[in-house]
Amino acid sequence: MTRQVSRAEEFPVRHRFLAPRNALTTVAALALLAQMPVAGQPLATGGEQKTAAPASSTFATPRTAWGDPDLEGVYTFATLTPFQRPAALSGKDRLTEQEQKAQEEQLKKKQEENISTNEHFSYNAIWFASDQGRPTGRTSILVDPEDGHLPPLTEEGQRLREEMQAHAAAKRIGKDVVVDTWEDLSIYNRCIARPMPRVSQEYNQGAEILQTPGYVTIFYESMHDVRVIPLDGRPHLDSDIRQWNGDSRGHWEGDTLVVDWTNFSDEEKSDGSTPFGGFPQGNMHVIERFRRVNANTLDTLVTVDDPTIWTRPFTFDLPWRGDDPAYRGPDDLFEYACHEGNYRTMEDLITAAKAVRATQAGNK
Amino acid sequence: MTPKIDSASLPSGMKPNGGSACAIATVFLLPLAMQAQTQQVPSYRAPRFPGTQNPDLNGIWQAMNSANWDLEPHAAAPSPFPTLLGTIGAEPAGLGVVEGGKIPYQPWAEAKRKENLAKRFTRPTTRELNDTTGDPEAKCYLPGVPRASYIGLPFQIIETSKLILLSYEFAGATRMVYMDRKPEAPADSWMGWSIGSWDGDTLVVDVTAQNDKTWFDRAGNFHSDALHVVERYTPLTPYHLMYEATIEDPKVFTRPWKIRMPLYRRMEPDIQPVEFKCVEFSEEFLYGHLVDKPGK
Repeated sequence: MTRQVSRAEEFPVRHRFLAPRNALTTVAALALLAQMPVAGQPLATGGEQKTAAPASSTFATPRTAWGDPDLEGVYTFATLTPFQRPAALSGKDRLTEQEQKAQEEQLKKKQEENISTNEHFSYNAIWFASDQGRPTGRTSILVDPEDGHLPPLTEEGQRLREEMQAHAAAKRIGKDVVVDTWEDLSIYNRCIARPMPRVSQEYNQGAEILQTPGYVTIFYESMHDVRVIPLDGRPHLDSDIRQWNGDSRGHWEGDTLVVDWTNFSDEEKSDGSTPFGGFPQGNMHVIERFRRVNANTLDTLVTVDDPTIWTRPFTFDLPWRGDDPAYRGPDDLFEYACHEGNYRTMEDLITAAKAVRATQAGNK
Repeated sequence: MTPKIDSASLPSGMKPNGGSACAIATVFLLPLAMQAQTQQVPSYRAPRFPGTQNPDLNGIWQAMNSANWDLEPHAAAPSPFPTLLGTIGAEPAGLGVVEGGKIPYQPWAEAKRKENLAKRFTRPTTRELNDTTGDPEAKCYLPGVPRASYIGLPFQIIETSKLILLSYEFAGATRMVYMDRKPEAPADSWMGWSIGSWDGDTLVVDVTAQNDKTWFDRAGNFHSDALHVVERYTPLTPYHLMYEATIEDPKVFTRPWKIRMPLYRRMEPDIQPVEFKCVEFSEEFLYGHLVDKPGK
């Protein structure tokens, strides 16, 4: 089983958050005909959804018994496609079919090597997504801005980033990163929450969509997070109610579920595990668009707008796959008891920090 | 003032239109409440989930009792830390939810339960203490079954045509109830492995593969990893479920025993679950001793 991993097993990796996430994506590419969202696309929710996965012309979205588009299923959203476009692929937004095949072969080979050598990963590589992490066909998950790169930070965003970098630097002693208190860890490593919106992750990447009249529910295996999304047009929660997973309101536009997502917590702490994370999310406003494009793919187009941090909104396109061989049904989503396994990790990290600091003091 | 019924929180088959909610309440609730006292409610038939013959139990439900303090009958008691909290945090009295009043412990287990109670707020200053001592609720650990059902916060039944997700506010705990097939538990877990079925309009959930780390309440009532729980959720009215759990654990008890309590539908307009991600609230309690603090 690849997913019964306690956080205690997972954490002990000193430089995990400093290392680039996907060292596996080095492929040349040419552009396929691409329908990119218009640059500077506002948060408007109308219009045709531009998707990574090709929409089957014969595919008709099934209906629930009460007539809603049926998005139910168990999905995974891991991909080895990088969030931002690698410099070598500048100007190319998609891979051809041949290039994609070549990339998959190469990734598979690399994955096998990693499993046998246990390199490039925080611990045994066999836990990580392989087949599950199939590339999207694009050269980056980010589709807007068109160059595949996050927009520039605002002045405040820059200030916050420098603050985080200074904090991280203060916790570096030689080649060690010390954890003096649990508050030095990200909210993810404290098992409080995993930053939303979710992008890609190497394991426990399962999610299930459940539908009942008037609601769509998304259950994420990682952190056993549940988003119950009302579809009845009710207003958002009072702005004084801030939540790690925010507050979601949905409606249908044709066969597309459009979700307006706000009320995020302002407490977000530095976490390099999200490509655009680490910032407080109090002013973040997200629009998600979920649409089935074929029998096995739910396309998710996610626009993030946070004028405090970013100079303009950005949009990423992440296909959720419904035919992952490791997630055949809901019973493949196993309990993610994270905090319950974290005591020993905290004890070891904080005790180790004391030892490192004592050695440092002794050397002076 | 006429109470506004949040139609979105009701099962889909019974959306009130206009003033009919009051009519439902007047016509049905009183006789049903009387019948509920005799535990016979043959007249109520829950609405069906669209496209199925299954009763629709969707909604946000909550127990209204002090079972989380103590499953057995108990008088009111002061807060564990009256000098810090005064009356706040005091224990409300409760009639008890155990059929027959007392939990049938084996003698060793009765002693263990007393020890649990005496040490329930022990700070886990060592690994061993953390593994063996103290109420897991204080640590924000997943509460297990049946405690999740009456831990004092609401939970949502998300029932689809194929399966049921139980989503609890406390610690954001979840359980998937498999309805259409019976997969085997791959390992023990905090919330166990739930296989559901329908007995008439009653949802029956067979829960196995729970670990031995959860408790039943704040009074130290406990179990082993041999715990087997069979829950029954019976719709009594549109607004009430009768919740019953038969608890079997041959390592700890002399015989199976049963708890029973109504669950109430949360009726506020636009009711929705809100987060109680309590990990943050537990960190000082769990790890505070590890950190040197000025003045300590």
